[in-house]
Amino acid sequence: MVPRNMTPSNATGQPGVIQTDETATKEELSTPWNVVVHNDPINLMNYVTMVLMRVFGYPRAKAKKMMLEVHNLGRSLVWSGGREQAEHYVHQLHGYQLLATMEKSET
Amino acid sequence: MTRLRIQAINQKYVRVTGINSLLAACLQELPRILESRDNPSAQARLLPPPTAEDAAINHEWKESIEPDLRHLLVSASETITRDLTCLKPSPRLAECSFVTFPATHISAWMSALNQARLILAALANVDEIDLNLPYSRLGGEKVLAVLQIDLFGQLLGRFVERELGPAREIKPKRPKSKRRTRP
Repeated sequence: MVPRNMTPSNATGQPGVIQTDETATKEELSTPWNVVVHNDPINLMNYVTMVLMRVFGYPRAKAKKMMLEVHNLGRSLVWSGGREQAEHYVHQLHGYQLLATMEKSET
Repeated sequence: MTRLRIQAINQKYVRVTGINSLLAACLQELPRILESRDNPSAQARLLPPPTAEDAAINHEWKESIEPDLRHLLVSASETITRDLTCLKPSPRLAECSFVTFPATHISAWMSALNQARLILAALANVDEIDLNLPYSRLGGEKVLAVLQIDLFGQLLGRFVERELGPAREIKPKRPKSKRRTRP
């Protein structure tokens, strides 16, 4: 959704021709993104569990473990993968009013 | 004391019974609370940015995704507001009310109840400490906000329990015993 690293070509000089920085784009596409859920004292604990089950299809035990991580540690990395999918998950989590962000994986 | 219950009616409808007068009064207030979603502090909580630092992504999100998210929030509010016009006093239980609505509205109810809790907390600056204090120790507008957050939480919790089903405890694995060989 957000434009990738695209720069107008100076070499060709042709109007409307855009040359992409291929290396940067490839790197950007291959870098995994993490979806992180942050603690919010207002959201009910079992509500958070239910949302993680609904959005990611996790089994109840896994969703509950992640919810407890959010509750006890303040955040939990709930998914990691491609950027577009990460955006899709954050969108869904925000739809359920969970505090969620996406961040580039450091690994 | 009457218990708050959610029952399925003919698979197509859901009936919430045992709504005490206090919760009924709060539910009547719900549409008004939800209308405060555009207050800056409520909006900041309901529509947070998708990244902590990336201004470009956050800007793009605000332009392209936020309108859709806002539409979701408003749509749930409209559904519950319509359903609440059917909130009636119970013919059997004194001081209690009930409401019946299509089963397909359950997600909208959960969304609206959760939104209301977040809006109330944002407007009254309610934090985790406030939620754990007795009402008598809360001052000013926080008393009413925390009371409403708790009451909406009771009803939301019932919906979530219903969605999750009965909890199944995972039995701990037995340690592997050494296979005995027959003599």
